[in-house]
Amino acid sequence: MSKPIIETHQLTKQYGEFTAVNNLELSINEGEIVGFLGPNGAGKTTTLLMLMGLSVPTSGTATVGGYDVVEESKQVRQIAGMMPEGSGYYEDLTARQNLQYIGQLNDIPKDEVDNRIDELLEAVDLVKWADTKVEKFSRGMKQRLGISEVLIKQPKIAFFDEPTLGLDPKSTKELRDILLKLNKEQGLTIFLSSHLLHEVQQTCQRVLIIRRGKLVAADTIANLSNNLLSKDMSSIEFELTEIDSDLIQKLNDVSGVKSVEQQNHKLFVNLENGNVREVSETITKHGSIILLMKPRTFSLEEIFLDYYKED
Amino acid sequence: MAGVLTICRKELSDHLGSKRYLLLFALIVVLSVLSAYTGSEYIRDNPNSSFTSIFSGSMNSSFSFIYLMVLFGPIIGLALGFDAINRERTRGSLSVILSQPIFRDSILNGKFIAGVAALSLLAVSTVGIITGISIPMLGYGPGGEDILRIGLFTLLTILYLSIWLAVGLLFSTMTKSTTTSILMSISTWLFFSILISILATLVANAVVPVEVASGFQMVQGGNQTMGDIRDLEDMASAFNRTQTFQQTETSEYMESMEENANLEATIQKISPTYLYEEASQSLLGVTEGGFGQGGNPFQALETTQSVSSSWPQVTVLAVVLIACFASSYMLFLRQEIRAGG
Ligand SMILES: Nc1ncnc2c1ncn2[C@@H]1O[C@H](COP(=O)(O)OP(=O)(O)OP(=O)(O)O)[C@@H](O)[C@H]1O
Ligand SMILES: [Mg+2]
Repeated sequence: MSKPIIETHQLTKQYGEFTAVNNLELSINEGEIVGFLGPNGAGKTTTLLMLMGLSVPTSGTATVGGYDVVEESKQVRQIAGMMPEGSGYYEDLTARQNLQYIGQLNDIPKDEVDNRIDELLEAVDLVKWADTKVEKFSRGMKQRLGISEVLIKQPKIAFFDEPTLGLDPKSTKELRDILLKLNKEQGLTIFLSSHLLHEVQQTCQRVLIIRRGKLVAADTIANLSNNLLSKDMSSIEFELTEIDSDLIQKLNDVSGVKSVEQQNHKLFVNLENGNVREVSETITKHGSIILLMKPRTFSLEEIFLDYYKED
Repeated sequence: MAGVLTICRKELSDHLGSKRYLLLFALIVVLSVLSAYTGSEYIRDNPNSSFTSIFSGSMNSSFSFIYLMVLFGPIIGLALGFDAINRERTRGSLSVILSQPIFRDSILNGKFIAGVAALSLLAVSTVGIITGISIPMLGYGPGGEDILRIGLFTLLTILYLSIWLAVGLLFSTMTKSTTTSILMSISTWLFFSILISILATLVANAVVPVEVASGFQMVQGGNQTMGDIRDLEDMASAFNRTQTFQQTETSEYMESMEENANLEATIQKISPTYLYEEASQSLLGVTEGGFGQGGNPFQALETTQSVSSSWPQVTVLAVVLIACFASSYMLFLRQEIRAGG
């Protein structure tokens, strides 16, 4: 649990003038499950494509499993599997035929391919559909076929670009269980790009956040949320019978109050070393009744919105 | 190389099972059978002609196997190539197979080889069918020399069809959507199989007019300008003299006609269809002599002579093929691989 299996150094990709990935420094250890987060267009897909040798970096280097992604891209693709963004399948072939084709491209002996196909179809719950043409598959079924296509080569590293897009909660959980199992039993390293924060929280030990091509955070989810709150700030959530601008003005004048946000019936008061009693007294004196008062908790989305925010 | 083989095998089985290929195959077989009838009829009318004329008929006849290939060859080749790459790209399977341990060029190579194999099967079976049904119709079969010529002609046909496959493959690499590449393919087909001969005739007639020009020359030669022609009678007499002039001074008329034809041929030489037609006629030994040189138009050349006289056309065809394939190669290797664009 210490050797880096994916490393990038100053990895950069430019499309003309536009820099999609900017001097990226990554290090992922063997056996880790890492989430890759970031707003749309941040450069996640571009990074994954470069790591698989499908896109050539403009500058910088990257190694996957010790192989250079440019010079030894074929070896990289031997030990790493990817489910690309918007991946598709041969609709006129059956699930089994699709998997056989991928197996052949990986030079896996026929008997071995057939064994693995049976196991994988079992794992992704497609046994009943094994000999049905993919054109009849629902989106989630195709997605599960895609996952088995990644795994058929028995990779050491698996890249997933939004694998749960279009999956129902049950399938999402099943996918998570499959990945966790492979990680636990075979030490599979997983690098997963996703927009589903709860999904990432439950699957990944660590997350990398990329924004406008730059890495802005690399840590555990717990640490990231703590960072956000440990700025000597506390925030209190109130639910009041009545809120008007006069009250907000009065609260802003209380010493220690940094800001006041209103969301419908709710009021969030951000304090710095402030006096909570004085805040509540101001409210009651104004004539409003406090229905609820508690320290504010942040949802994952709120935490990440902060990281996603443009400077 | 394992990757190329795997891809080739899949693509070939896709082709052989596709409605598109089967439909074209059936169409060409039916038309080939018809062309064998007209071809054998022609041979019966011209006892001097060789067995191989079955594929060419008369040069002026509008229906022969060669003509079939000129007309439909482009669409057969293009149909097998026009969506080879862009369909995989939009469907998202391109990035999936590129995530396997193969090189990018294996995909192009595999698809091209599979296409050539499918086209070869089509060429060999149609040529075989034509030869086969002609034997009972004529009452005799091809000699050893004829068989050699037919074999070479089949190879030429495969080369010719592969050019269109390569053009289709180039279109499929260049464009993102199959709608665009299908339109490009249809335009290409119409241009090379139909439009180019019409265009060549138009241009040649404009640059080297045949009849009208000699008519005017005659009028001037008779010291009579257009302005002097007052009425229809004058016109008619001038025309009559043109006619007599043409009859007596045939050489000048023939000269301008030959010049016209040469220009037309030169223009058409940019088209693989025309080069194929010329090379086929040489290889089959059915080349006609020069214009108006009378005699037997089938002064059958030795096979070796036929090969060497078709060599320039074959070379140009091969160069076109390589150029198209190399262009798709270079394009494809540099392209960004993303689903849908
Ligand atoms: N072929 C291309 N040419 C030009 N720009 C491109 C190309 N491909 C991607 N980009 C740009 O690069 C940037 C990064 O794109 P990328 O697909 O990596 O983002 P992403 O993080 O995967 O986003 P999403 O969450 O939407 O999938 C985007 O701004 C995109 O417009
Ligand atoms: Mg993406």
